[in-house]
Formats: sequence, structure tokens, C-alpha cells
Amino acid sequence: MPSTLNPADLLQRVNRDVERSVLRARNGVRYIRGTHRPTLGATPKDVVWKSGKAELWRYKGGDRRYGPPVLIVHSLVSRSYILDLRPGNSTVEYLTGAGLDVFMLDWGVPDELDADNDLERYVDWYLPRALAAVRRTTGQDEVTLAGYCLGGVMASLYAAGREDARVRNLVLLATPVDFSEMGAMVALLREGRLDPDEMIDETGNVPADALYSGFYMLAPTTEIAQKATLLENLWNDEFVEGFQAMATWSRDHVPFPGAAFRQLVELLVRQNILMTGSMPLGTRQVDLVNAQGNVLNAMAERDNVVPPPAVEPVMRLIGDPARREELRLPGGHVTFGTGRSAFKHTMPKLTRWIIGHSYTSP
Amino acid sequence: MPGDQPLWLKVVLKVERAVGQPVESAVRSDTYFDLISTTTRIRRKALGAAEGVSRRCLHMLNLPAGTDIRRIRQQLARMERRLNELSDEVAELDETHTNSGVR
Repeated sequence: MPSTLNPADLLQRVNRDVERSVLRARNGVRYIRGTHRPTLGATPKDVVWKSGKAELWRYKGGDRRYGPPVLIVHSLVSRSYILDLRPGNSTVEYLTGAGLDVFMLDWGVPDELDADNDLERYVDWYLPRALAAVRRTTGQDEVTLAGYCLGGVMASLYAAGREDARVRNLVLLATPVDFSEMGAMVALLREGRLDPDEMIDETGNVPADALYSGFYMLAPTTEIAQKATLLENLWNDEFVEGFQAMATWSRDHVPFPGAAFRQLVELLVRQNILMTGSMPLGTRQVDLVNAQGNVLNAMAERDNVVPPPAVEPVMRLIGDPARREELRLPGGHVTFGTGRSAFKHTMPKLTRWIIGHSYTSP
Repeated sequence: MPGDQPLWLKVVLKVERAVGQPVESAVRSDTYFDLISTTTRIRRKALGAAEGVSRRCLHMLNLPAGTDIRRIRQQLARMERRLNELSDEVAELDETHTNSGVR
């Protein structure tokens, strides 16, 4: 039966459309002027340790009911506030709210001074010192080490390469292991079409623009669809705020330290060395199977930056085989950690796993 | 929700996918990779050549060029890095001594 529209419904629809048009105009002006930008990384925190550009933050929140403390090791490629995007849409806020004691190791924005930072510097210098600061601050011996993307590689090397690591849980979020499956992002470097030195600028680092272009070129036309969806939802303050937050983050890359980049290309990309289960670090050889703690390998099913085939071998290579678990989550490389889907799937499942492998704080 | 989308948005999204998919395949092709690497090399060579000419001109007038400044900045950065490493080592030694009660 065809639906009929009575005058009251019609009036209601006209009213709604007029209201939305007014809101669209207001938000459109705000968007173009760049005012009313959302506050990013807003969860209150204290800086508990600092060295060079690296900072260790301890998030404030509810009562800390569970131990050990959770240390998130962020990637070297992007800004860490993606895991604390904005209130109500923040992995950090979710974990803190669930009673976990959350720390973030943020690498800052590298410049000339960081051009010589190699993986050894991050794994053997910064990480042990940051973890010592976590232990000093909390008085607890063990930690849950959570690494996002390349941060997961560094966390794994740390957990596997040191007897004094005292890692109770190792959480790997979209952590690449098989670099032959990394797709277009690294194909240029893997096949030798470009040398790492050709991407390094006068500061000794890979400029942030080059990294942004790499991500942008994976899907160059999606911005049109995103802008059209924004236009349709411009009346919705919540949508506009979320859009602005994501747009800000996706353009806000940081330079990649040159020495670490050369190592990454030579060892991880060209030799695909992590797939051998072992990697040289400084003067020693690190066997990934020695990684301490329970291992959670979390991956995003529609990740086109670190696709699932690049992540899956974690289940064969890192840590004790009897203590490995896999978690497949909906979303892409970023949206599985932030946004509505993350709030529904990633945050509860991740939190449940961590708490399930933690203890109640005394 | 897709069902609630107005017609204009559905059209835009469809057109975007129709154009986007071949573009995405193109940027993952060998031809595109070759193009990117060739462009990068040509740009670096052109920049290098231009810098060489301007450097010679400036040096003829006994003026420092951008490359000289860059070299000095790199040397300064190297020194600052070394200084930071040394101060970190001193701080750690201090801490070890304090913890072990050595005076």
C-alpha cells in the first residue's frame, strides 16, 4: 500500500530540513574558518618520564583496580593521539575507565637530533628506561606491553630480547611481521626501485610529507566520498567533530628517523627477517619465540596498510606457542582502534582480554 | 546508514568507487612504481644541479650557501646528540651511585 503523508508529518519534515539547513550553514562556516576544532588526546595525564623527544604519560582516570600497568608503545610513523582521539571515542579512556593503569610511550616529533636513532636505540635504550619509570611510578614489577603497528615490532623485540623484561602480557595491535604481504606501501622499497636514502631529506629523516603521500596514494579518491558524506551530515555536530578529529590525525604524520628507516627497509622489508623468527639487534640475535608473557595478536580484517596476511604469522613466531591468542576485529588499520566500530568491538574485547590476563591490584 | 542516504550522495559514492577502483589498481601497478622512482630521481638530480650552480655563484661572492648552512646544522646536531648521550650517561651514573649509597 503506498504510504500517504499527512500534513502534520509534512510539516515535521519541513521543520527538520529547515533546522538541518541552518545547522549545516553554521557548521559549514565553522569548518571552513577552522574554528571549533575538537580537542584531541584529551584524557588527563601526567608526564612521568622524558628523554629527548620521548615522553611517558600516565593517564588519570577512575580507580586502578587491575595490575600490571599497561604500557602502550606507539608506532614511529604516526601521532599517538589516535588511541586517545576525543572523549567518548578513545581506547585509552576506555581502558582507564575499566580500571587499568594506562601509560603511553610517545616518541614526539623527530628532527635532526633523532636522525641517528636506530631500532637498537628504541628497543634497548628508550624502552628499558621508560619501563623502569613505569615500575618506579607504580611499584609493580610486571607490565602489559601493548604495541601498535611498528610499536608492536619494537615491543616484541624488547619482550624477546631481554631476560629482565618481566612482560606479563604482550598485546600486538596490527603488528606487521611478514613484510612481503605489506602491499603497495612498501613495494617501491622492497623491489629496490627506491633506495631508503632517496627518501631521506637534509634533516636525516624521512619527511612527514612522504609518509602522508604514501598513505594518501593507497586510496586517492576516497577523500571525495568522505567530503560528500560530511556535506550530508554537516548538521550533526557529533559527526563533524569526529570527521575533523580523524582528518586532523590523518594529515598529522611525523618524520621517520633515518637510521631506523634504513634498518627497516634493509632488514624487515628486503630481507623479511622477522619471518625467520630471529633478528639481529646490536651485538645479539633476538629470537622472537623467546618473547615473554601471554601474546595477543589483534588484527583488523579490512586493514589495507598492514593486511591480515602480514600479521597472521605472529601466531607461529612470537612467544610461547601455548600462550598465543588471536583476535580478529572489524575495521581498517585506523578504524579498528577508533570510531563507532572500535567502541563496539575492539575496545570491549581488548579490555576483556587484558583484564582476564591481569590481577586485582592490592 | 546507506538506506537513509539521499540520492545525490548515493550517486557521488557510486561514481567515486567507479573512478576510485581503477585508480587504486593503477597506483599499485609496476608502471606507477617506475614512474614514482623515476620522478623522485629526476627531482633530486634537478635539485642537486640547481644547488650546485647557486652554491658556486654564492661562493664566488664569498657568501655561504644553503648547503653550507645544512652541513653546519648537521654538525651541530651531531654534537648536540653526543652531548645528550653524555648527559644521559652522567645522570645514570649519578642514579646508580645514589642507589648504591656511594658518595
